[in-house]
Amino acid sequence: MKHTTLFFAFIFFTTIVFAQTDFKGEVATAKTSYTSGKLEDAHFALQQALGDLDIIIGKEVLKLLPTQLDSLNANTNSDNVTANVGFIGATIHRDYGSPEKKAEIEIISNSPLLGTLNAFLNTPLIGGMMRDENNKTVKVQGYKARLERTDAGNGKFNYKLDVPFSSSLLTLNVDNSAESEILGMANKIPFQDVAKLIQ
Amino acid sequence: MKKIVLPMLVLCGMLVYKPCEAQLLKKIKDKVNQVANKTTGNNDNTQTSQTDNTTSNNGKPTNKGGAGLKNTPPPDVNQQMTDAEKAYDANKYSDARYSIQQALIGVEIQLGRELLKSLPSEVNGLPKDTTQDKVVSTQWGWANMTIQRVYYDGKEKQLTTTIGNNGLYAGLVNMYFNNAYVQADANQQNVKQTKVKDYKALISYEESKGYTLIVPIGQSSMIVWECVNFADENEVMNAAAQFDIDGIKKKLGEQ
Repeated sequence: MKHTTLFFAFIFFTTIVFAQTDFKGEVATAKTSYTSGKLEDAHFALQQALGDLDIIIGKEVLKLLPTQLDSLNANTNSDNVTANVGFIGATIHRDYGSPEKKAEIEIISNSPLLGTLNAFLNTPLIGGMMRDENNKTVKVQGYKARLERTDAGNGKFNYKLDVPFSSSLLTLNVDNSAESEILGMANKIPFQDVAKLIQ
Repeated sequence: MKKIVLPMLVLCGMLVYKPCEAQLLKKIKDKVNQVANKTTGNNDNTQTSQTDNTTSNNGKPTNKGGAGLKNTPPPDVNQQMTDAEKAYDANKYSDARYSIQQALIGVEIQLGRELLKSLPSEVNGLPKDTTQDKVVSTQWGWANMTIQRVYYDGKEKQLTTTIGNNGLYAGLVNMYFNNAYVQADANQQNVKQTKVKDYKALISYEESKGYTLIVPIGQSSMIVWECVNFADENEVMNAAAQFDIDGIKKKLGEQ
């Protein structure tokens, strides 16, 4: 859990681009720069446009996510989309419930790092998708996923479900939960529609 | 009981490890093939000889040739940008993203080609080997492009220039220029700091690799010269001085 938190903290605080979603403006700049032979300016504008698109896609994904998971309501105020230039891709965040009982959805899209991670997850010999008492492979709406649990210290478990797509990863975290509960919640997420948008 | 088991084990071992068994098996196989060929007659013989040409030992067909892949031109940037706008208007954001990425690749490849054109055609008597020109766009990252040019005399002397991101040397550059002061002071110095046209640089020497000169430019790019069979440091520095570092930096949009 600590590692996951650290990982996401790292993601949020490194190379964040505060992209203003002005996609059309950026493409227009890119076109003008390209026509006048200013390739580097065109390149920069296109990269900005890409960041803008990531933000827009993220917001669209948030619209697709359910407003309620089980009995937990979405805290839409903490919805967050960040576009990152570099290796980390875009991140989309939504959480549900209260600090006592919380569920979180994190989606990292278009990250080349995840290509490696997903290859790892799909290779049983090097430890991905393997089973032991705390890890197992499950299928949610036809997608292979990895379910992991850690001891919450109060006789219950914190659960984490990783659903890898080609270069994207959806993670659902639910604290103080049971396997049937997290899988029930996961089934509320429209994976197919989300995958269509972020792939 | 033990007395019987032991000789049996030895016998089994001898049978299994008999070194000439593989040869024996091959001979038997060859004999069987000969007999089979005789009985099937001439027509079949021609067929087998044909199959022998197209199949490998394990029976799978081997590729005898094909036209290969055509060298596709880089993506049409204007077209891709128009496609992106259309996809965006139709709320097909994933398609818009793809088109923007294609446009980026197109721009990067053009940038790379322009850079290659601006490089000298001969360095220290070494002519450029355009067959090894490379422009690699990774689609990811800040300045996500690497350009390579090789100068080669066709014998032993070679200079390879790489411009752009270079993960291989990023660590070394970081250690020397972004950390506290580091300078080796051994009898045999392998890495040292120097300057090329007022740019800070690192030069290193390895017996197996020759000289490597690295000039970081701007925020994330660097120019690397890998010199094989160069006589000394001066020759390397002279070669590097023939490159228009300011021009390269400007083309890459670095500050």
